[in-house]
Amino acid sequence: MTEMNMAQALNDALDVALSADDRVVLLGEDIGVTGGVFRVTDGLHERYGPRVIDTPVAESGIVGAAFGMAIGGLRPVAEIQFLGFAYPAFDQIVSHVGRIRNRSNHRFTAPLVIRIPFGGGIGAAEHHSESSEAIFVHTPGIKVVAPATPADAKGLLLAAIIDSDPVVFLEPIRVYRAIKEEVPEGHYTVPIGEAKVVREGSDVTLVSYGAMLRDAGRAADALEADGVSVELIDLRTLSPMDHQTVVGSARKTGRVVAVVEGHRTASLASEIAAVVQEQALYSLLAPVERVTGWDTVVPLRRTEHHYIPNPDRIAAAARRTLAG
Amino acid sequence: MDMLRILDVDGSLIGESPVDLNEARRLFAAMVTARVYDRKGSALQRQGRFATYAQFEGQEAAQIGAVAALRPDDWLVGTYRDAAAMWMQGYPWDALLLGRMGDERGGAPPVGVNVLPPSITVGGHMIHAVGLAWAERMKGTDRIALTLFGDGATSEGDFHEAMNFAAVYTTPTVFLCQNNGWAISMSRAGQTASETIAQKADAYGMPGVLVDGNDLFAVLTATRKAVRRARAGEGPTLVEALTYRIGPHTTSDDAGRYRSDDDIADWRKKDPIERLRAHLRSAGAWDEAWERETEEAASAEIEAAVSRAEALEPFAAEGMFDRMYAKPTGALEAQRRLQQGDAS
Amino acid sequence: MAHEFRLPDIGEGLTEATVVRWLVPVGGAVALDQPIVELETDKAVVDIPAPHAGFVLHHGAAEGATLPVGAILVVIGEQGESWSATATAPRRAEVKAAAPIVGNLEEAPDGDDDRFKALPLVRRLAASMGVDLAGVTGTGPGGRVTREDVEAAVGGAGPVERVRMSPTRLAIARNLTRSWQEIPHVTTFGSADASGILSERSRIGEASGRQIPLEAILMVAIAPLLAEYPSFNASVEGETLVLRKYYDLGFAVETAEGLMVAVVRGVPGRSIEEVSVDIVELAAAARERTIAREDMRGATFTLSNIGAVGGGHGTPIIPYGTTAILSVGRAAEQPVVRDGKIAIGRQMPLSLSYDHRVVDGALGREFLGAVIAAIEVRG
Repeated sequence: MTEMNMAQALNDALDVALSADDRVVLLGEDIGVTGGVFRVTDGLHERYGPRVIDTPVAESGIVGAAFGMAIGGLRPVAEIQFLGFAYPAFDQIVSHVGRIRNRSNHRFTAPLVIRIPFGGGIGAAEHHSESSEAIFVHTPGIKVVAPATPADAKGLLLAAIIDSDPVVFLEPIRVYRAIKEEVPEGHYTVPIGEAKVVREGSDVTLVSYGAMLRDAGRAADALEADGVSVELIDLRTLSPMDHQTVVGSARKTGRVVAVVEGHRTASLASEIAAVVQEQALYSLLAPVERVTGWDTVVPLRRTEHHYIPNPDRIAAAARRTLAG
Repeated sequence: MDMLRILDVDGSLIGESPVDLNEARRLFAAMVTARVYDRKGSALQRQGRFATYAQFEGQEAAQIGAVAALRPDDWLVGTYRDAAAMWMQGYPWDALLLGRMGDERGGAPPVGVNVLPPSITVGGHMIHAVGLAWAERMKGTDRIALTLFGDGATSEGDFHEAMNFAAVYTTPTVFLCQNNGWAISMSRAGQTASETIAQKADAYGMPGVLVDGNDLFAVLTATRKAVRRARAGEGPTLVEALTYRIGPHTTSDDAGRYRSDDDIADWRKKDPIERLRAHLRSAGAWDEAWERETEEAASAEIEAAVSRAEALEPFAAEGMFDRMYAKPTGALEAQRRLQQGDAS
Repeated sequence: MAHEFRLPDIGEGLTEATVVRWLVPVGGAVALDQPIVELETDKAVVDIPAPHAGFVLHHGAAEGATLPVGAILVVIGEQGESWSATATAPRRAEVKAAAPIVGNLEEAPDGDDDRFKALPLVRRLAASMGVDLAGVTGTGPGGRVTREDVEAAVGGAGPVERVRMSPTRLAIARNLTRSWQEIPHVTTFGSADASGILSERSRIGEASGRQIPLEAILMVAIAPLLAEYPSFNASVEGETLVLRKYYDLGFAVETAEGLMVAVVRGVPGRSIEEVSVDIVELAAAARERTIAREDMRGATFTLSNIGAVGGGHGTPIIPYGTTAILSVGRAAEQPVVRDGKIAIGRQMPLSLSYDHRVVDGALGREFLGAVIAAIEVRG
């Protein structure tokens, strides 16, 4: 066990994968010599040379080439620098990556990973603060993963690399260096499709993932100080979602608050609310609350804090579920 | 492909100057002013007052020279590294500063300034200059559109679509690539196997011109010719201005990881400001006191703009709900109420 | 004045930086934007320019030390100015033990909590009635507690049967509710000697071989009065009283679905026989549910003969869109004073409801008197 932040844990995961399996290839903009804009691939080019590929500025090309490599038998891990830059690659993801297994009736598969930093809160330039993960969750044929902690990040990335299907791997930008924890050494996986109960409670369930999990945890601290028993769930995988854990908790507490940074309409919070009402309606003691970003472009640095949900907003929503 | 150069690296005139000495002095002062802004931008970021900042040092001749070929009502569609060009085409310092401070008012130049807010994503904006130029032709004006982009942008599929549309529809568009050698850490050689970027024009059926991007006279001469051609209805031109990004990609980048200081030292010798200064000095049109006054005036002007921008009250929370549609939707109004309820 | 300069996030999500080298010592002079310290972050080594001109009063960290974003990096002020640290709350990367994985809730209940197997609507009802759902046995699908279960749980009311009203009944209910809520009703009672009208009915019936409903004679008798008293053949539309110059008289028909009103068009000038034919046909169609909607709309005045079911006086509800209705009960032998002597008359009870917004009590009485006279004159 070594104490690492998430950027280091992801770097370690890629190192483990590259050393264990010659089919693993990394490609993306500035991931080689410079180690990636967030330094997640730092040092890997030195160690693995031509298997860590700096590409031209061409996101559609990166994903399309990785797709071809995956069909061709490699295990590519593509990096897009920011979620806001992934849109030129969207056609590749929707029209090709997510469909090849279906349209070839399993003859061809594309086991690639597309790593994309997402979320705001660092006062970056426009397009650098996107939390549009719902678009990918809405896309059939791909899995979507979003870790919240360094140890989960490593285990999930290693699981994504050996998965038989394409995985969009979303890395919360403002968590890269914000949390350090003990991370196991060597190869291990955290299963894709399983949520984690971060803390157990009986009065209200907070469901979140990625960077918002920390804020949900802070809200839980504030609620517990007032005597409210909070169950906190980290989804970890957004698609396929772990319904059993979410619904089980909803049946237990009867109150659910879904916390996401993305735009409100048709968000992961909407999906959580739908699943809970389908499977736990009779257990509900209050409507499912959604705490989300708004249906606006993420405001720039000076007013970004008005957009991203904060612990106060999360705690207020939890209290609304407890009021009635 | 031959490269057009009018001022040699040492400042000696080896071709025909496109401007008289007075105009050359005005353009020199503009380059000096732009560099003052650029250095202030880096400092503001390090002091936590700017969001990420993309320096343009070394590219002043490419930007000032290109825009000097425009009419004040022509369109300019550039990128996050094109503050000098935008300012030259009328975009106020205040708006440029606000944009970098992270305020949406930075994207709103005064009416009459036909400059789009800088493109932050790479490559998507070039086709906009095709559409703008097309619209002007359909409206019957003789305005043209100039788009600025880097060598990295030529790898995006969008570059192909923009070049193809412009040539097929002979839109009055001028494509000016500031080939500064680097797209973050990717060198020009890694970006494209073409010998030059200018030669790509050939495949689309438009003229392509390679110029020394650190030679203000060469950039101005080539761009002027392209602008004339566009205004005359003869279609688009691709100009490749060969220059160099002296600074890192942005304030978040460490260029030392991927390139050597020797390269930078070589390019500093080709500095565009020094080159024009040498020319003006030899023509008796420069003295040190004048340049210092120019710098001080620029600094005072920019410091005043910084003070104004920082004094501007940030938007209230509800500003974001009002910027989405001509009239906020019902869903947004509901979210506004929710947001304000939460805030209270 | 001393300016405390805190370490900003200089690289998109950085949380700390290490001091490589101080470029200006404590006590040294510094110009605006002059590089003051060299820092190393996870991303790069950078110079930090001074945000103010002045003298360096304090270094926030020694060379080689690491500072969190938000901590004081340097303090700049006047020469010789004193400055002392106050409490600061820098942002620090959280160090935490790996979060224990509590589990994936494989033990989660595989069904909903039975105590609460009730829809939110029912729960609200239960709360308002003070019923604890835990004590209610559900009779709905899958054992769901229904509204009826909650109401039954209140106790004491006895068994009930709940029947959804038919669409016709619901329409009747809506119309009556609307009339009752909007129109201020006044009902005036009277009775008419029916001997003449009843013998007239028998006579015409025998002569024509047709069934002559009492409504036919009443309509023919009353129609001329409506021209004389136009406010009884009217409707109220907002602030306007609409006096109709045509006389389409409605009559109530008892059907299995409830009372309906059918309409005989253009009564004045038509014979009792003709009106009778219309009434018989319309009533049959109404009972058989084959009546056209048009034949149930647009009455200008309505008769309701409740004689068939006995009936004395009543307080009929004015059909919406009109101003009056006359209810006619069964004629019965009663003592009457006739020419100063008590005699036995066949008295028919009459109840006239009218819209009090447009008809005063005196006029109502006067109109009912005219109706009585018009009936008694028959024979």
